[in-house]
Amino acid sequence: MGNAFSRALGKLFGSREMKILMLGLDNAGKTTILYKLKLNKIKTSTPTVGFNVETVAYKNVKFNMWDVGGQERLRPLWRHYFPATTALMFVIDSNDRQRMTEAKEELYSVISEKEMEKVVLLVWANKQDLKGAMKPQEVSDFLQLDKNLKNQLWCVIGSNALTGQGLVEGLSWVSNNTAKR
Amino acid sequence: MNCSEKELPAESSPTKDEFKKCPSTPNLQNIRDLSSEHHREDHANGYLPIGNRFHQEEAVSPSAGSGRGSLLDLYGDDDNSYVQVSPTPSHHSLRRRSTDAGGNRTSTTRSVHSTTTKRRSAIPELQNLDRYGFRKQNNYITLKDYDNWWQNYSKYCVRRKHKWQLFLTKSGLSLNGDSPTKFPPQSEKLKRYVRKGIPAEWRGNAWWYFARGDEMLNKHKGLYDKLVDKCQAEKVKVRDIDVIERDLNRTFPDNIHFHRESFQVEDPLMIRSLRRVLVAFSLYDPNIGYCQSMNFLVGLLLFFMNEERAFWMLVIITKKYLPEVHSVNLEGVNIDQGVLILCIKQYLPELWTKMESTYTNDGEIGSSDQQDALKQMEILNKLPPITLSTASWFMSCFIGVVPIETTLRIWDCLFYEKSHFLFKVSLAIFKLCEGELVEKKPSLLFSQNIFASFSNESLLSNHTHDWAAHQNMNRDDYDMILFQVIQTFPKKLLNPNDIFDKVLFKKKIPLNKLDQDEIDKIRKYVISQRKKWVRFNKVLKKGDSSSSAIVAEAKVDSRNAAVSKEFGMSDDMIADVLASELSGFKRMSLAGVDWNTNIKARVKQMKQQGK
Repeated sequence: MGNAFSRALGKLFGSREMKILMLGLDNAGKTTILYKLKLNKIKTSTPTVGFNVETVAYKNVKFNMWDVGGQERLRPLWRHYFPATTALMFVIDSNDRQRMTEAKEELYSVISEKEMEKVVLLVWANKQDLKGAMKPQEVSDFLQLDKNLKNQLWCVIGSNALTGQGLVEGLSWVSNNTAKR
Repeated sequence: MNCSEKELPAESSPTKDEFKKCPSTPNLQNIRDLSSEHHREDHANGYLPIGNRFHQEEAVSPSAGSGRGSLLDLYGDDDNSYVQVSPTPSHHSLRRRSTDAGGNRTSTTRSVHSTTTKRRSAIPELQNLDRYGFRKQNNYITLKDYDNWWQNYSKYCVRRKHKWQLFLTKSGLSLNGDSPTKFPPQSEKLKRYVRKGIPAEWRGNAWWYFARGDEMLNKHKGLYDKLVDKCQAEKVKVRDIDVIERDLNRTFPDNIHFHRESFQVEDPLMIRSLRRVLVAFSLYDPNIGYCQSMNFLVGLLLFFMNEERAFWMLVIITKKYLPEVHSVNLEGVNIDQGVLILCIKQYLPELWTKMESTYTNDGEIGSSDQQDALKQMEILNKLPPITLSTASWFMSCFIGVVPIETTLRIWDCLFYEKSHFLFKVSLAIFKLCEGELVEKKPSLLFSQNIFASFSNESLLSNHTHDWAAHQNMNRDDYDMILFQVIQTFPKKLLNPNDIFDKVLFKKKIPLNKLDQDEIDKIRKYVISQRKKWVRFNKVLKKGDSSSSAIVAEAKVDSRNAAVSKEFGMSDDMIADVLASELSGFKRMSLAGVDWNTNIKARVKQMKQQGK
């Protein structure tokens, strides 16, 4: 997509920049992840009406991260803003087994949008600190990405936004898997 | 699932009758003790005298009464002296019904609770809280900044209150022992007074009065009680309840009245009130149900008035002040954002030029009136990305967007001056950071049409797509700057007087000409434009739109006979659609021409005739 130019620049200056969209059901932990990455602080959980956008630098990559409010009925508001996205980070509350199906449906409905054809997909199986949380492997099995996503790069990483566990790994994965494209 | 009363120890909750003894007591009676004089002294001295601490504690907690054995012990000197909350019912004007508090949560919400409680840090010391129980300090405001500002602002509040008292007395209105229920008739003076801030402890009554709450309540006496009963008796639309439950403990989690400690068995009183109001509302108005941001609206109202009034205020806000903004299809949001964009064009043309240049392409297709018309129609329908930010300003009426005292000042004006004030404040915020936005704009190598890359529905500009892709970096850079400024700047508006004195009280700044009439007119205009757009697209889509080039051509030159034939559209149809657009745009052109030109011209004529 829009990578041609930035890639060229990246070759020149050794740095890259990419647009990242963070999606997921409400209360999955998107904003907490964003601010943990940005400020290394834990923000008290509160619903995002609208969105937050922050720049996070990791190694030589500048991630422009868009964290969009999760409530179902607010989703149409940002439907127009999918394109020009390099990677989709989909956050799942691994502890909320009841809504796992809803999360799966939401993920597939987003990823099947035409603008999302070429994005790299990172799934954060968040809230791994909670006892009842599904393990990343379980989440991955449940989502059946291997079966359904043939042409896309994807990865499921367990995370805990409170400690930051798994977050850098996620960015690193995205960074490595977009450079090659 | 939700409203069962089982498992509840009967004595832990006040009965409905108890509540009814004090149905109209505003919750702020508890906060009232925190009146500025009291507070100011503490902070002027830079510390909280221990002797005063108890008063403060009493005042701060909605469950405060005689104090002992309640939340207040949290602030005892001994950290381990936590006492289980077992408040005596008589102190809780607010505690309307708590019968729904226990044993009714789904496992989903339980998990929410366990995660949220786990995730919360302890409530900070009392001196770190403001007079409403919010934290003074956050990522944008330091404690020192806050205290410095409050030292002066609290004095200002005291001065203003004296003036209000005089004003009311002179108008022959009763202060009703520091809780006036009637206010003077509309006037420039009253408007000025409201803009300078209603005394915090009068706010509940004043908002209620200006929004004509009594009219509403008298028409529907007892309805709120019935709704609450109904919620508890039968199952409401389950879907809403789940969504509400997920948000309850995420509403003002940093505020002492909403905060739930891990050792607390029950939800705080405020959370329970919030639940009842939101559930009752979703039952009352199924077209809206529950929409995120309503939790904040009700949450804030509950600081200043009882549940029943908060409920009716929510009804009034969603009907009168922000029509359809919270409805399921969110059309009201889109309309208001369209209106805001037109206002920016009109009143901050320089900023608009900068903003627009990042996503419109002037040179590419050549320009004609028709294209301008289409462009504007497209803008009103596929709103620029910045509206993602500003939409939340409207939905939550600036709660969480600007600091609390500033929010409250905006609310004062909102209820007195109606919804146009929200637009005015939005423009004022843009005005204040205009310099930053205009300066920071990176030099763009090319301009491009954002819609090309932002929507594949865009018919007009598909052929710019390829080279638009090359521009992503530039556009993204500016977008990021724009968003960051717009996201961060309002959060630093600690002092409400900044926005009022620097912008809203300056008559010479054009945006102050904006009034409710104009907003109503533009709202109507945007509604019609959005409808036309839908119609227009339907007309175009009658043909097979697989060939985007042809469609684009059709759109650029709608009278292209070949295209019309191919799509089986009558020339008249397209001409009709477009012609009506054009006449609309001649009145409201991109160049910032006043859309009241017609009226102005007429006035001019009349004046000349008069001579």
